Amino acid sequence: MPPAETSILSPTVYATLPFWPLLGAVLVGLLVVARQKPERAHLPVVLGALVSAALGVTLFFDLHNAHASSTDGTPQTPLPLREGLGEGHGRQLPPNLPLEGGGVKTGHAEPTGHAGHDPGFTHTVYNWISFGDRSSLQRNQWIAVNFYFDGLTGVMLLYVTVVSLVIIIYSIGYMRDHHGHPERGYERFFACMGLFVFSMISLVMAGNFVLLYLGWELVGLCSYLLIGFYYQRPSAAAAAKKAFIVNRIGDFGFALGIFSLYWFLKDRVAAGENPLDYAVVFKYVTAGALTQGQLTLVSLLLLCGAVGKSAQFPLYVWLPDAMEGPTPVSALIHAATMVTAGIYMVARCTPIFGASPLALDVIVTIGVIGALLTATMAMAQYDMKRILAYSTISQLAFMFVALGCRAPDSGVFHVFTHAWFKALLFLGAGSVMHAMGGVIDVRQFSGLRHILPQTYKVMLIGCLALAGFPLLAGFWSKDEIVHAAFARHPAVGVLMLLTALLTAYYTFRMFFLCFHGKLRLPAEAGDHPHESPPVMTVPLWILALGAVFTGYLGVTWHPGASSFLGVLAPHGFFHHYLHHSTIGTPKPLGEAPWLMYLSAAIALVGIGLAWLRYGSAPTDEPDRKLLGGLWNLWNAKYYVDEIYDRVFVRPLRGLGRLLWGTDNHGVDGLIWCVTAVPRGMAFALHFAQRGALQAYALGMVLGLVVLLLLWGVM
Amino acid sequence: MLVPYLLLGAALFSLGLIGFVTRRNLIIIFLCTEMMFQGIIVNLVALGRYPLDGRPTFDGQVFSLFLIGVAAAEAAVALALVVLLYRHRGTLDANAWTALKDE
Amino acid sequence: MPGVLIVVLVLGAIGLFLALPGGRLEWTRLGLVSLAASGGALVFLIVDRAAGEAGLALFIGGALVALFSAVRIVTHRKPVYSALYFVLLVVAVAGLLIGMQAEFLAAALVIVYAGAILVTYVFVIMLAQKARPPGYDSRARDPFWGCLAGFALLAVLGRQLFLPAAVTGDTAVPGAGTVEAVGTALLTQYVVGLQVIGLLLLAALVGAIAIARRRVTAAPEPELEGAD
Repeated sequence: MPPAETSILSPTVYATLPFWPLLGAVLVGLLVVARQKPERAHLPVVLGALVSAALGVTLFFDLHNAHASSTDGTPQTPLPLREGLGEGHGRQLPPNLPLEGGGVKTGHAEPTGHAGHDPGFTHTVYNWISFGDRSSLQRNQWIAVNFYFDGLTGVMLLYVTVVSLVIIIYSIGYMRDHHGHPERGYERFFACMGLFVFSMISLVMAGNFVLLYLGWELVGLCSYLLIGFYYQRPSAAAAAKKAFIVNRIGDFGFALGIFSLYWFLKDRVAAGENPLDYAVVFKYVTAGALTQGQLTLVSLLLLCGAVGKSAQFPLYVWLPDAMEGPTPVSALIHAATMVTAGIYMVARCTPIFGASPLALDVIVTIGVIGALLTATMAMAQYDMKRILAYSTISQLAFMFVALGCRAPDSGVFHVFTHAWFKALLFLGAGSVMHAMGGVIDVRQFSGLRHILPQTYKVMLIGCLALAGFPLLAGFWSKDEIVHAAFARHPAVGVLMLLTALLTAYYTFRMFFLCFHGKLRLPAEAGDHPHESPPVMTVPLWILALGAVFTGYLGVTWHPGASSFLGVLAPHGFFHHYLHHSTIGTPKPLGEAPWLMYLSAAIALVGIGLAWLRYGSAPTDEPDRKLLGGLWNLWNAKYYVDEIYDRVFVRPLRGLGRLLWGTDNHGVDGLIWCVTAVPRGMAFALHFAQRGALQAYALGMVLGLVVLLLLWGVM
Repeated sequence: MLVPYLLLGAALFSLGLIGFVTRRNLIIIFLCTEMMFQGIIVNLVALGRYPLDGRPTFDGQVFSLFLIGVAAAEAAVALALVVLLYRHRGTLDANAWTALKDE
Repeated sequence: MPGVLIVVLVLGAIGLFLALPGGRLEWTRLGLVSLAASGGALVFLIVDRAAGEAGLALFIGGALVALFSAVRIVTHRKPVYSALYFVLLVVAVAGLLIGMQAEFLAAALVIVYAGAILVTYVFVIMLAQKARPPGYDSRARDPFWGCLAGFALLAVLGRQLFLPAAVTGDTAVPGAGTVEAVGTALLTQYVVGLQVIGLLLLAALVGAIAIARRRVTAAPEPELEGAD
């Protein structure tokens, strides 16, 4: 929609959103180079993140005003998701098909006869690259830097900027030693964080697929830099490489998807329209410009990118290893923001995915397998961060299932709530790690509630939210997903409920093992481990507030029998906000209050079971005794890493060695042969140069004679 | 009568060349160089007697005079060098100086 | 190319090869005989070619003396004798020059060469003399290739000379090369060259003095006998 007259700030100001953290990161580099003073190195990045957060919040409200003022409030539905049209039909639509909610709102002129529409507003900053001469603008061959503002953008930016700011402030305290001096590489950390925030915001705000891919790759780069922050540790360096390479595998499919999208659309769009702009793509896709097969192909290829970036099965193996990075990195990148980029992309491309039932089925399958598998793995781990990492993968799979069950708004809602409580959990684990001198293995300590009271409280809130305790944020979003799963197929619903049970169980296993029982400390903890300083605890409380209250954004006050506890019903302000975006309005599911009570019960059962078995923080492992071999299998993560190593890594390494040998001996050998010729000639001829002048003169005369003979002959 | 003179000049030149290449004594080498000059002088004067435009000219002879002057200068410097070289090595053998060798 | 010339060249080459120092005395004599035969053939060639021309006898005489002394310069073992034969060569060439009406040049040749240059050579030979004949005088280096090279060159040049119609016309334009005539020419037409030659001689003089005055620590003398 075009900006309303009551817009708080102009689109140009919003277009600067990505660059404030980047400016901060650059300034950090310059400051340190000029003054060698790491104490204040965080300031530029914190300020940049602050400005971006302020702009993000403002944008959120601005877009809300624009939604409210431009129509009577009801949003449009992109056609593929409307019930009744069915899947698999040809895409020929009658030209005068009315849309729900009134006229078409778009910043571009609509050619008559097309029923597609564009719910967002594209703000073009400048035309970046054009292939060829000026006529390339007419031939749809350029890449522009443009930003797309719609409901999805608003929501994503809101939590990305604010959570990033909170975590960056936390890092000021985290990246210091016990005496408060900054760690080695302090300034590098903040520079990379600033770069990351810039990349993530660009990704979210991108207005075309190329810019999306640019942001995608940049966040991958920052992830590499930050996972490998302690680069002198071999495990950290290896983890960074693994993350980047596994991501790359997905990105390859993603790039192919973008290429095929361009290929299919480049001859269909009108002159002056770029076939990779969101507005253009979705306009033509919803108008039926592509066939079913083409849409399926594009969706499956784009899906590859999401599978890699959002750590879905089978490309999830990088995320647990990514815990080698500092804890704020794990919180920001691998819980709250970067890994949600895949979900964001699939949600953004709802018109494309929605038209391909095959792609949706693949998404559901991948999601269900991933969720259940990683939940079982999380049940048998000891490293707190690893448990949280597997939990993250499991929750991301939940979001994927939501997307696959045609409930993208629920998926994005879970992204939103999950960001808050998962970041909270990670930062709390960081607080524990700080107090324990770097130890994060729950076998080494217990009973920490006595010495870390604030951490204990916020971790409790976070764990309750993750487990889906009623009335906290995780409950609402997870319940919606389970509902959508049941609507898709009862078996899917049952599996998701089982996963929810396991989630509650392993979360509280971790919690009790860490904080309950008698007080035990590892040797690294030092003399008296203490609670974290306020610069760390205040962000924790901010995130805890988010974990509790963000759930209510997606809930309506609806007194009546069909709501939870009689007053609260799912789908609220958040979902209506989201419908003013490319997600559109999904088909509403029926009401199922029984499901809400069942979800609540499952969460309580899970917590209760964990309390029974682990409440006293036993040092032996009750589950292992009970489950035996199964438990070992879960602890070993189903040997997936080892299988990948045997099947993929070793053959590739062998191939690499073979190629290296060919290059070193074969190709270089040829070169050596070439060099051997002059050397041989020199050796053969050096006998002619003994230093005897008269011999040289003789040679000259003989040469002269030959020349004269030849001249005379000719 | 030109060809015999030219032939004589060529013969003197060649003999001087053979001596230059063959003998090992430094002074004899330079002497053979002078012999080559003699052959050239014969050639020049003989050719000078057949001017292209038909008018009598002294070009050949003047050239030869200058050639004698150059030969004298060259002989002076060359012999000074030979004396110096002899003082260095105590020998006049041309094989004693092989500094231009490849190794 | 006339066959006689080939005979001349072949005999000359074989003769010179044999006559160069380093072989046995019989071969040296044999070589000289061969050279003599070569010279005879050469006389025959020239007489045949230029019979009846003026100044032929003078030319034959002068040429024979010149060639003989040239051969002795190259083949004699003692350097002093080479220098003296050079004087003979100079006199022979002077005689030939007089036959070509270049009297001034002939006189200058004798005065400068025989009178100055050769005297210098003899002095230096005396200065650098050893008690007993050193090895490097008694053996030539690479006589085969040297003779081959020289005579091949001569063959090529000779062939060119004896091609039919190699020279345009055969009438000389005699100009009396008297002192007066050549002197006038030098001082009018070629005065710049004259001055330059003067400067060149001055430079050579200064250079020779500078070089010869250098103090040198004499290195131990290596006795390089035998091998080439």
